[in-house]
Amino acid sequence: MTTLNHYLFVSAALFSLGLAGVVIRRNILIIYMCLEMMLSAANLALVAFSRFHVTEGLPDYAAQSLVFFTITVAAAEVAVGLAIIVALFRARQSVDVESITRLKG
Amino acid sequence: MSVFTIEAGLALLGLFLLLLDAFAPGVSRRTLGILSMAGVGLALVLLVTVAGGEEALPAFVKPFQQLDALAMFYKGFALVITLLVLWLVLECAPYMTRFTLEGRVGEMLSLPLFVCVGMMWMAGAKDLVTVFVALELVTVSFYVLVGYTRKSAMALEAGVKYLILGAISTGVLVFGIAWVYGATGSLEFEGIRQAAAAEGTNRTILLFGAAFLLAGLGFKVAAAPFQMWVPDVYQGASMPVAAFLSVGSKAAGFAVLSRVVAALAGEGSAVRGEVLAALIAAGSVTVLVGSLPAIFQTSVKRLLGYSSISHAGFLLLALGCQGAGRFGLDANGVVAFYLATYLPMTVLGFLALAVLRRNGRGEELEDFRGLGRRSPMLALVVTLAFASLAGLPLTVGFLGKMLVVLTLVDQGQWVALAFAILAAAVGFYYYFRVILAMYSSDEGVPEAAPVRVSLAARVVGVGLAVAVVLLGVYPRPLQPMLREASQAENSAVSAPSGH
Repeated sequence: MTTLNHYLFVSAALFSLGLAGVVIRRNILIIYMCLEMMLSAANLALVAFSRFHVTEGLPDYAAQSLVFFTITVAAAEVAVGLAIIVALFRARQSVDVESITRLKG
Repeated sequence: MSVFTIEAGLALLGLFLLLLDAFAPGVSRRTLGILSMAGVGLALVLLVTVAGGEEALPAFVKPFQQLDALAMFYKGFALVITLLVLWLVLECAPYMTRFTLEGRVGEMLSLPLFVCVGMMWMAGAKDLVTVFVALELVTVSFYVLVGYTRKSAMALEAGVKYLILGAISTGVLVFGIAWVYGATGSLEFEGIRQAAAAEGTNRTILLFGAAFLLAGLGFKVAAAPFQMWVPDVYQGASMPVAAFLSVGSKAAGFAVLSRVVAALAGEGSAVRGEVLAALIAAGSVTVLVGSLPAIFQTSVKRLLGYSSISHAGFLLLALGCQGAGRFGLDANGVVAFYLATYLPMTVLGFLALAVLRRNGRGEELEDFRGLGRRSPMLALVVTLAFASLAGLPLTVGFLGKMLVVLTLVDQGQWVALAFAILAAAVGFYYYFRVILAMYSSDEGVPEAAPVRVSLAARVVGVGLAVAVVLLGVYPRPLQPMLREASQAENSAVSAPSGH
């Protein structure tokens, strides 16, 4: 029987993996995938909490509605984000974080 | 007419302008700009004059929006800053088009409308779902705006940095929302406030969620330790966008933070102590990490970035003093007042940089040398802006800082007070470096043509400068608006007395 804790454990693992990837990886595309993983982790936690928060015999759907918004927003973010990353690649011929170190001071 | 109609109208206008720009190549940027500004101006007039209150909202909006005075204040604030930014885009367009694809600026005149709608929607949000969607409308529009001048290597780089860090903060925010929901079983602020004060709520889970939620919002308002993107992004972004980020994005972030803190740290909440302590600690660190590196800056645009961090620190300190208050303003009222003082001086700073850029100068401290002799009027206005940012008495900047310091004294937050005063003192040094550069001897600086300022820039600049001084001497016009905001905001915060 899977309990709430199982789901939360997977969610926390996904989130940590995503965050670690963002910090460690040098390729902006992979960093971006890791960011999507963080969002998925949050979605999983939302759905799990919602499923196990039962009122009057039914799960509380408020949190599940947020998941739909998160997925939609993530899609919009990817559309804009990839466009910016493509522009970066055209300008620098690279999508490595080392190629964006001009701004400092 | 309901406030919702105004917001929906603005969003439709934004879509219309976007399509007009894409499919009607004959339309000049001037026409687009005037349409866009007229729309925002009309919305502002309607909001102040005929917009109905909460009862006028359509039934399907009522579950998601509240229209207390605080919401109305931030909605008006969003419209004012959007209007100024749209004008700044037109003002900067002559040099900015060198860095945009095919010399276009159309999107820069329509996307701010979406940002504005997002900020307005966020200000009245009643639950975290609305907050999330509105916040993302603002953030995604900003991704485009920051990287818009993409032929400039620095703007592209700033765009990528803002994109990655913004996306991290989104992930952290949603994760925090999930855990706060897990602890309280509600996504509405009112439900969270009640659950946080109720017996049987799991304190550890709530704290865990609150930490992520506040961290996610901390990114948006540039709170330490999530502030490192700010100077880079400001330096790379174009002038209007930097001003928009600095004022609009910050105000929107604090509008949400006010609500979230009121819900999480309401009277009797199990985590009130921790949340307020975290805000005070983050504020204390933020004022310092904003002020200290600013000493060594040679780029004035970067300096304004660090200044923005430092001001965010003062705002966090004010927010952490829930329950304190002065002059009839509670903590959220103080935050709103501080933001109202922050708007004219910061826009003025960016306007001065825009004027210099239009004259072919750079953004370095060197470019301000000799302005006092060659363009005394411009130098005077810039002096006022930076003196106010530093917090010189008789300017609005002083009132904001003084209010924060007084509430810290009332709460007995002596460590935070020491940090705030240190940061303010350091601030005097680095802001006055710019002023000194303008009035010091300009020997050795190659004689440049006098700085030309367009008529519109003169009018706006002088208007903002007058606001800086007039409100600094006589802030009363702001008070009733904010006092009402304070009382309507959160009945759980007892009204201050005896001051």
